[in-house]
Amino acid sequence: MAATATGIHHRSYTSELRLRATRAEYVRLGLMTVLLLVLPFVLDNFWLSQANLILIAVIGAVGLNILVGYTGQISLGQGGFLAVGAYSSAILSDRIGLPTPLAILVAVLLTAAVGTFFGLPGLRLKGLYLAIATLASQMIIEFVIRRWDWLTLDQGYLNVERLSFFGFEIGGREVFEQQWYWVLLVLAGLAVLTARNLFRTGLGRSFMAVRDQDIAAEAIGVNIPRAKLTAFAVSSAFVGLAGALTAHYSEVVSWEKFTLDVSILYLAMIIVGGLGSIAGAVYGAIFMTLLPELIRQLSLGVDDTLPFLADQLPAVRNAVFGLVIILFLILEPRGLDRIWQRIKDYFRFWPFRY
Amino acid sequence: MSARSRSLAVAMAAASALALSACGGGGGGGGADSDEPIPIGIIADLTGATGDVGKPYNDGQLAYIDWRNSDGGIEGRQIEAKSNDYAYEVPQAEQLYKQYVNEGVVAIQGWGTGDTEALSQSVARDELPFISGSFAEPLTDPEEAPYNFVIAPTYSDQMRIALNWISEDSGGKSEVAVFHNDSPFGEAPVDDGKTWIADEDLGLGYEAYPMPSGSQNYVGLLSQAKKQGAKYIVIQNVASPAALVAKDIAAQNLDMKIVCLNWCANELFIDSAGAKAAEGHLLVQPFAPIAADKEGHQPLKEYAEANGMDPADIGTSWVQGWYAMHVMAEGIEAALKNGDDLTGPAIREALETMGPIETGGVVGNGTVEFSGDSHRGSSATGIYEAKDGKMVEMEAGASL
Repeated sequence: MAATATGIHHRSYTSELRLRATRAEYVRLGLMTVLLLVLPFVLDNFWLSQANLILIAVIGAVGLNILVGYTGQISLGQGGFLAVGAYSSAILSDRIGLPTPLAILVAVLLTAAVGTFFGLPGLRLKGLYLAIATLASQMIIEFVIRRWDWLTLDQGYLNVERLSFFGFEIGGREVFEQQWYWVLLVLAGLAVLTARNLFRTGLGRSFMAVRDQDIAAEAIGVNIPRAKLTAFAVSSAFVGLAGALTAHYSEVVSWEKFTLDVSILYLAMIIVGGLGSIAGAVYGAIFMTLLPELIRQLSLGVDDTLPFLADQLPAVRNAVFGLVIILFLILEPRGLDRIWQRIKDYFRFWPFRY
Repeated sequence: MSARSRSLAVAMAAASALALSACGGGGGGGGADSDEPIPIGIIADLTGATGDVGKPYNDGQLAYIDWRNSDGGIEGRQIEAKSNDYAYEVPQAEQLYKQYVNEGVVAIQGWGTGDTEALSQSVARDELPFISGSFAEPLTDPEEAPYNFVIAPTYSDQMRIALNWISEDSGGKSEVAVFHNDSPFGEAPVDDGKTWIADEDLGLGYEAYPMPSGSQNYVGLLSQAKKQGAKYIVIQNVASPAALVAKDIAAQNLDMKIVCLNWCANELFIDSAGAKAAEGHLLVQPFAPIAADKEGHQPLKEYAEANGMDPADIGTSWVQGWYAMHVMAEGIEAALKNGDDLTGPAIREALETMGPIETGGVVGNGTVEFSGDSHRGSSATGIYEAKDGKMVEMEAGASL
């Protein structure tokens, strides 16, 4: 049980429902805002591109966490849903000619619809069985994007025009990452805020009720099928947005970016970050996106003493990837979010242990 | 309290943002001036799905750079290569690409078809000449991919030449099965082959079969090909899986001839399959193997001997890497000789206007040449036969 700050007396429900109550929380929020505002001015383009990848991953991971962490519906179909968002947004904007923001919006809705459809087995299946059913959705979508020639006009991949909206177009090499950073920061911020607030509404609470005890939830009047399908829809909408942004940011869409590996990566993000926590999804997205790059930097740093690390880098990365997940499952199954909570508790209680 | 805290947060944010942004610095950039080394990025597959040929290709690239640098570099400037493994994964390639761009490289050498195609838009926008191990046809069109250069005949050209040869060998009537890697690389020439048969009225039957990756054998695929009545199996894959097919054909005593394109048309295919199983199969290879002993092999052999390697051990993929880097280096040299600043557009223009690049008989019919209208460096290829464990030249510079 996380500690609560002493000396706070809520005098109204509004006060009790507030997202942040203590001065420390506001200071942290302020510091984080500073950090986010300053990043594009202090990072070089490469690290800024990593930040952009993280922001896209945040949206996708938050979406997946709504489904897996909050509603208890395991999904291995993340890669497929990302692909639906990416392909539909690219085709709608470039080939059909919709304005890009509208194309992204339609792609989000379309992914939500596809997600809801593939969520139907969730009405009858749970746990491992549902995982396999969603794995099927990944396979089916992957098959479609690989073999349906119309999608890429026989080209095998889709080039996407540079992002432009309301007369503004993202610029060239020098400013590309920076301008994208602002776009992605706003969208990721909105996604996090939306998800955070979702679980203060009746709908969000019904998701958690389904996760914790579906029979009891039904007994107290939660419409289980509706809650499950809505969870699939909402989650897929987030994932669709992440997919659409992937397409417009990387400016090329090919099936190789949406394989089962991606689904597993996203699952790893929310496991490592913390299931059932929006902040956890954010931490997980940051950690798992940066991990390969940090390993690379490390292997370059110790190239003289441990040359095999650099020689076998992709294998080492995979091994570390597996090891990280195992260690988290054993040592802290509730992920980085719980570790952060414990650190905060430590300082809050200090010098007492509890 | 909360109102105070909130205003505190906002004030802190504003103040620190101003302070921190003032000390921020811009990153990357930078072409190259006078005596500075010439930075080139290499995206290599050393450990991925095509690592069997990707590793020697990368060794060849690095060997060329080493050789050229010890020979004084390009116009007195050293080549500074950044080479990293991407394990044949497109997202990794994109990551490396961003890193190289940030580090200010003037040109990039890539590898696979999927990642080369995925990056073609980016290299065009960033104006970075890109030569890769992929010979997919769309990359030769400057309108679609203005900064990609293909130094050898495309996979589609190789397929056309192979089909012409099969048509002649079979007397104009036979069934052809195409076994291909299940990826953009494998699929690249499949449709063009079918169109070629129809356009040229070759009278060949044609079926394509994706090869499941990681298979322990291809008996299932071969039985499908047998049902089709195929006498020829064109393989568009790397050496190791192609060698498995050769072994399966030998084990089952099937009357089928393999025609390997490019990445399986090498010594590795023969060595992995074993001389007996490889015997008589055909290899369409645009880069002359060391065994063909061309004039252009001389510097490679000298370099190998000077570095304690046996020149006879140099595989064709190694030769390909060497000459891919050679073509790029020649383009860079021409750009420097033009007196231009060393930038991507200057290298591109040099490659398009410098005329034929001599390869001493190694690539195609000897030279590689680009123009403003076409980035297809060559359209001729050698045809070899596996005989007694060696690649024996049947025809040099075969073209359409």
